[in-house]
Amino acid sequence: MQENAIEVKGLCVNYRCLKSFSVKKSFFKLRKTKVEIHEAVKNVTFNVPKGGIMGIVGKNGSGKSTLLRALAGIFSADSGTVNLHGNSISLLAIGVGFQKALSGRENIYLSGMLLGFSREEIDSKLAEIIAFAGLGKFINMPVKTYSSGMYSKLAFSITAILETDIILIDEVLSVGDAKFKKKSYAKMQELIFDNDRTVVIVSHSSETIRNLCNTVMWLHDGAIKMIGDANTVMDEYDKFMK
Amino acid sequence: MKRFFEDTRNYFHYVIHSAKSELKAEVAGSYLNWIWWVLDPLCFMLIYAFIFGVVFDGKEKYFAAFIFIGLTCWNFFNKCIQSSVRMVKNNKAIIDKVYVPKFVLAYTRMGIDGFKMLISFGIIVGMLVFFRIPPTWNILYILPLLLLLIIITFAGMTILMHLGVFIEDMHNIVQILLRLLFYITGIFYSVVKRLPEPYGQYALKLNPIAFILNGMRDCLLYGRAPNVKLMLVWMVIGITVAAIGVRIIYKYENGYVKVI
Repeated sequence: MQENAIEVKGLCVNYRCLKSFSVKKSFFKLRKTKVEIHEAVKNVTFNVPKGGIMGIVGKNGSGKSTLLRALAGIFSADSGTVNLHGNSISLLAIGVGFQKALSGRENIYLSGMLLGFSREEIDSKLAEIIAFAGLGKFINMPVKTYSSGMYSKLAFSITAILETDIILIDEVLSVGDAKFKKKSYAKMQELIFDNDRTVVIVSHSSETIRNLCNTVMWLHDGAIKMIGDANTVMDEYDKFMK
Repeated sequence: MKRFFEDTRNYFHYVIHSAKSELKAEVAGSYLNWIWWVLDPLCFMLIYAFIFGVVFDGKEKYFAAFIFIGLTCWNFFNKCIQSSVRMVKNNKAIIDKVYVPKFVLAYTRMGIDGFKMLISFGIIVGMLVFFRIPPTWNILYILPLLLLLIIITFAGMTILMHLGVFIEDMHNIVQILLRLLFYITGIFYSVVKRLPEPYGQYALKLNPIAFILNGMRDCLLYGRAPNVKLMLVWMVIGITVAAIGVRIIYKYENGYVKVI
């Protein structure tokens, strides 16, 4: 297809000796420091074209979330490269940097700025975010008074409305009540029809993936087991999971 | 180095905003609200003034102001350093989800405590007026001294922040060291007058915090100029350490999430 928004080459992410240690322990174990390496993502190579929607599936612990974080720049890759071609990226995450004692409105600013938006940009989107979250008068109440559903609704709205070029979604499509779920689903689809936006979704719901994604990557124990057209991969995956 | 300045600029608004909201959150539930920021240092000053002025018979001129200047600077340094050890861990929620240069967290902390320090300085001005202490042009030296304090604090924070991630016991060690530093810095006595020669001079010159405190008192209370040469030396040392700290953080910061 056209140009790529994400290019990943031979990406490996290991969890290893960088374990935090206590001084006492290290005195006793000075000699037998064993370096344990856990390879979370092994030699993964793929491209996502601009405007493409890619799903990532796999059983628990297969490295999906690690991969997303590596894409978002939160983890450093141990080897391999991630090239985003200068696109802005955000991990659709629940409640980044929320201050629980402050109102929802204040937290929108806080969260938005953390994602790298300026005050003016947030100002202009503020009404839209508040409307989308649909919290009513609660938007001016401290976040600590929110129910967990309201909390995630607000968090979702912030990241969904403050659009970045690339959006990484980690299992948050099942947020809130039925009505909000529908709304967020519609919003996702809207993002998807926007040809400039690139989305990577991690989900366990095979239905969601089939409906939203064009390509699917199946991770198994950190390595790619299959990658390709959504329906083909999902058929295999569903068979495998049964 | 260029990246450091760019990041500092990019995250400047976030730092201001998050420091502000943290301050707001701090007093959100209390009855006296922001009055605590004034009350808190004042009360501690009274306690120390009583203990060391009356019980231990301290004889510095303008003793209350003398202690208060010491406490003001010490509180800033102490709180920043102490929180830096667990800073990365305590902000797990943030760094788990987005990339931020980790020293931005240190900025936020310094913003919060810096604000409180400014309030205390307001009180100091009030005290200067109250005690009728004649101001001299030497007062202007507090600006470079403040800058030095900020640089030294930031330098310490970057290093401790990094170590704190990997070394679980760091918190206890820092607690003890800070306590030691608290007593040898001379918050409520004059290191030069109370310690026997030549130790007094050593304690003053080798401990940047003691040096800053002494300089502040000199220029605010006694109309003397601080030792400019020594100030520059500490400035250079502070900047060097801070540069090393920032480099280390840049190099390892993406590994932090894996550890905590």
